[in-house]
Amino acid sequence: MKDTGKNSGQSRLITRRQTLQGAGVLGLGLALSGLAAPAVRAQGRKEIRFLNCETGKDTLAFFDRIAKEYQEKTGIEVRVDSVPLGEAFTKITNGIRSGTPYDVANVGFIGHVLLLADQGQIVPLNELTDPYEWGNNILFPMDGKVYWYPFDYNLSVIYYRKDLYEKLGLSLPDTWDQFVSNCQATIEGRRKGCIFPIGSNGATNWMSVAFMWAEGVKLFDDQWNVTLDAEGMKSKAAAYLDFMEKLYPTMPPGAIQADYATVLSNVVGGTVAHGPYAGRVLEAAERDNPQVAENLGIMPYMDSAGKNKAVSHGYDGWVVLKTDNTGPAMEFMRWMTTDRLVDFLHTAPVHFQPARLDIYDNDQWRSNPLITKYADQIEVMRKMVTDDEMLVTSIDTQGPAPDIRPGKVFEGFVMPEMLQDKLIKGMSSTEAVEKAAARMRELIK
Amino acid sequence: MTRWMLPAFLAVGVLVTLLLIVGPALYAVSLSFFDLPSLTSDPVWVGLAKYQAVLASAEFWRALWNGIVYAGLAIVLQVVLGIGFALILHQPFRGRALVRGLAFLPYLLPTVIAVLTFKWMVDGSLGIVTILMDEWGLPPIYWFETEQAAMISVILVSVWLWTPFVTTTFLAGLQTVPTQLYEAARVDGAGPIRRFFHITLPVLRPILTVIILLRGVWMFNKFDVIWLTTGGGPVGATEHLPILSYRTAFTLYDIGTGAAIATISFLFLSLAVFLYFRVFPMEDDA
Repeated sequence: MKDTGKNSGQSRLITRRQTLQGAGVLGLGLALSGLAAPAVRAQGRKEIRFLNCETGKDTLAFFDRIAKEYQEKTGIEVRVDSVPLGEAFTKITNGIRSGTPYDVANVGFIGHVLLLADQGQIVPLNELTDPYEWGNNILFPMDGKVYWYPFDYNLSVIYYRKDLYEKLGLSLPDTWDQFVSNCQATIEGRRKGCIFPIGSNGATNWMSVAFMWAEGVKLFDDQWNVTLDAEGMKSKAAAYLDFMEKLYPTMPPGAIQADYATVLSNVVGGTVAHGPYAGRVLEAAERDNPQVAENLGIMPYMDSAGKNKAVSHGYDGWVVLKTDNTGPAMEFMRWMTTDRLVDFLHTAPVHFQPARLDIYDNDQWRSNPLITKYADQIEVMRKMVTDDEMLVTSIDTQGPAPDIRPGKVFEGFVMPEMLQDKLIKGMSSTEAVEKAAARMRELIK
Repeated sequence: MTRWMLPAFLAVGVLVTLLLIVGPALYAVSLSFFDLPSLTSDPVWVGLAKYQAVLASAEFWRALWNGIVYAGLAIVLQVVLGIGFALILHQPFRGRALVRGLAFLPYLLPTVIAVLTFKWMVDGSLGIVTILMDEWGLPPIYWFETEQAAMISVILVSVWLWTPFVTTTFLAGLQTVPTQLYEAARVDGAGPIRRFFHITLPVLRPILTVIILLRGVWMFNKFDVIWLTTGGGPVGATEHLPILSYRTAFTLYDIGTGAAIATISFLFLSLAVFLYFRVFPMEDDA
């Protein structure tokens, strides 16, 4: 029998209107349950949430691989989210705030470790770090507790062209004057003497300030007073600015905006004879410009008198957050840092300069072709983190103990702006130092 | 069905707006009354202290001025060039459809690609512009080396990216102007310039008002171009309020002050829009 619309509406148990109303209620219920989901998920889940900030192709593939391997081994799923390092802290705190915290996170800033430790958001990792010997100035213990597992140093060192040094009869510079002279001597055609970033960015903080550390400049005293413009310190900082003024004309245009990629491409492309960076330079040159790769040497930053040397560290590490999943997360970390750390380091073999000293003698680690090929340079890097004469420091690790204050100086780009005041605005060195010191005081008050 | 469906749909819209726009905005404003180093810290009530500190800081006034200069110059150039291109593209010529398509292309590019491409083109060592200048025996251009040069560079990138929006919108408006008006003016002896100022502009004034308003708001709040090009440098020369707010909140561990800057910026922009509509009302009183 053929239904009419009216009849069918009367005879059906559920009308179209009721169906729509039901769907609406169901949708609303699902939406509301979705809103409550973070709190529910934060309770009693088995999945380990891992925030990674090393976004190289091989490193991402490594995490993909070990996540599967760990799940097969233990039944526990490891979900790895990858973001650029600059977004990590916001991501970590948003996760905590929203009730979906990460269990393990990659951090690249000791100030963030301190903040999280202060708030009781991360757990000490001494049980993972204590069994090993570590390089200088890398664990940053707080009241005897180590809150992170550093996996690399990311030392900023100065790369130079050995072939040009040989051709021009230059020797390795021990003083600022010699370095300027070598940079001038290596200018030819489109090739410039060096590149050191001077923009308001992390690259400048990391790559251009270590000359000042070598000169003995300290930003804070033991009581966290700003010492940049203190007696004896101001003249050293001003001398550094005078040196940079001499170096600046040997750089290509654009140093003011040079970032990591700019420096890397200039050194690897052979358009500068000197440039700072970590091991990534050798990996990139090996891939893109093997002729340059063969001829790259490494040296530390030097002072004005030829007495001291320094390198700037850019370290990275992992923290374990205090969640209801901390136990499984610690077990995962124990497995990864014991059984798979070398595999991880091999994903950027020269760039990930080990913080753990036993790795340097690990046969599996040494068997990597790039590590074998650049054994000499790696030995120089190793000495940089074991030689007590070598200053290993950075803006954010200045001061008597790990603290957020030097982090503010780092993030406030005080040192880059001091350079810009001198090199762009033409301010006198003394005035630029005084202005920077005043800015530091303003930031940390 | 219709009787309750309409309010139901309206309610969904209002709910989404409240949850995703009004709620977060009010939350951001509320943060400005607290001292808060990170989102996971315990907030400490400080009342209007953050606003007092912001209004007393030279950085804030510099950033506000930078924003006005950046937005103002970029809008003027975008509107003048955009209208010029629209007038050209309104004329019949062979390949006009293709040129119209190409003219819109920059607007379709993701900002990050456009900015990185620009930076690579003007790179001091490897950039094609640098290499060509060198081959032609010309001195290199220092695109970012001075405060003025950096500001001009970010304005140039912005003009290149968003002039097509003005062109396309104005071109669409041009096609609605009755041709009889032009024919009558031509009969009366009006030349192209008089026809533009006495017919085109008055007829398209409402469209132009909206274009300038939209571009003004967007440029004043534009974050990505400056962030990717100069990061606000050198020495703060291109740092405007959105960048200052972001840096203060997320890199200097002062979310309260960052929120206060964002709130003041919002109020300033609201006032500017209000005054704009007072000076250029949308209704045609004539």
